[in-house]
Amino acid sequence: MSKRRKLGALVLAVALFLTLDATRGTLAYYTTVGTATNVVTSGNIELKIHEQTKDGEPFPSQGIRVYPGDKVSKEVTVENTCDQPFYLRIRLTNGVEKLLASVEDVFAFDLNTADWTLHEDGCYYYNHVLQPGQRTAHLFKEVELVREQVAGRFGGYTLTLTVTAQAVQSKNNPADHPWQAQGWPGAEGGQA
Amino acid sequence: MSKLKRFTICALMVLALLSGSLTAAAANGNVTYSGDAGEFIFQPSSDQSVTDLFPEFKDVMPGDTLTQTILVRNDASDKVSVKLYLRALGGHEESQEFLSQLTLAVRAGDSELFHAPSDQTAQLSDWVELGELGSGGEVALTVTLQVPVTLDNRFMDAAGYLDWQFMVEEFPVEQPDDPDQPDEPADPDQPVDPDKPDKPIEPDKPDVPKTGDNVNVGLFTGLFVSSGLLLAVLLWLLLKKKGKKSDG
Repeated sequence: MSKRRKLGALVLAVALFLTLDATRGTLAYYTTVGTATNVVTSGNIELKIHEQTKDGEPFPSQGIRVYPGDKVSKEVTVENTCDQPFYLRIRLTNGVEKLLASVEDVFAFDLNTADWTLHEDGCYYYNHVLQPGQRTAHLFKEVELVREQVAGRFGGYTLTLTVTAQAVQSKNNPADHPWQAQGWPGAEGGQA
Repeated sequence: MSKLKRFTICALMVLALLSGSLTAAAANGNVTYSGDAGEFIFQPSSDQSVTDLFPEFKDVMPGDTLTQTILVRNDASDKVSVKLYLRALGGHEESQEFLSQLTLAVRAGDSELFHAPSDQTAQLSDWVELGELGSGGEVALTVTLQVPVTLDNRFMDAAGYLDWQFMVEEFPVEQPDDPDQPDEPADPDQPVDPDKPDKPIEPDKPDVPKTGDNVNVGLFTGLFVSSGLLLAVLLWLLLKKKGKKSDG
């Protein structure tokens, strides 16, 4: 290689070296990665049925002995035990020795028609949206064993009254009347 | 007005002001990069995850459409700026049935980065650049979750876990002139020439937005090393020739 060419190559190499040395400043220092685990949770609907006597005591779960014409103190209310407001309905069914019979046959109630409405589907709908932590007004406070219906028919039998409560969210579910709300469940719901 | 009345009124006013400020803003998620290849700090966290960025997506109900913000901030020193990236890793396996019912959308300004079922990676399967931030800079992500009104009862009390990753690349920043060197004082004796009006004061130059580059690191590293080797070879040849001359 001639002297001139060697000198040229040397100058080029030095120039290139210095230029590239300057570009080091534009390269990244560090790279860091971090991971976030994000969580979505869904709410729920929960309720609790309260049955108590006029003295505030829980209604005996084993039942009580009654005679035709007797009026028994039994106050039924429902409590919202979740964080969501909801619409509420109650269905009353009665039975004889676990068989179903029409509720009008044997029981009569002092129904609270100011806060509850009997709809054509046979359910009693609470007229207000029940807020978290709230308790409804009573559906009834007293149950009468109708003399004319039971006398001579059910002596010695066990008669049952089943209270079934169901709720559906009111959020994102506007309705003029609670029975018009969407999503009423089938047979699920709280039962006493 | 008695002292007690005045005190009560003041206390009630303070309480009212505090209540207003506490209920005013929806909760944000926050991602903070501390610099020097340090950690990311994720807030606010939750009972389910210490890195949870979704404070507003709790106890969701059918029919909900919920929106929150995630602020990503660079708290590194002013000697570096960072390029910021985001990608999604998708829902955890046990969460996919629940999360697949929900639709998630993520926006950065006017750009939609993600819109898909929340268990998917979709448009965030690969790293997406969110921007370049100087020290103290931040970028806001708007996140929206849609819950179908038909969401089944079996998803009551469900919890869904999905992972996002954030990445930063640090770049050095040119440092300004030494602030300790004082400016030259103005000459108080120089008279004002009425024919020459005062120079208009230049408004402060706005911060020039930092622009990144897409340097092919491998190419330039190779050239750097090659030129260094060439230099070394040429110097060796020169020294060898000098050695021969002195021998000869």
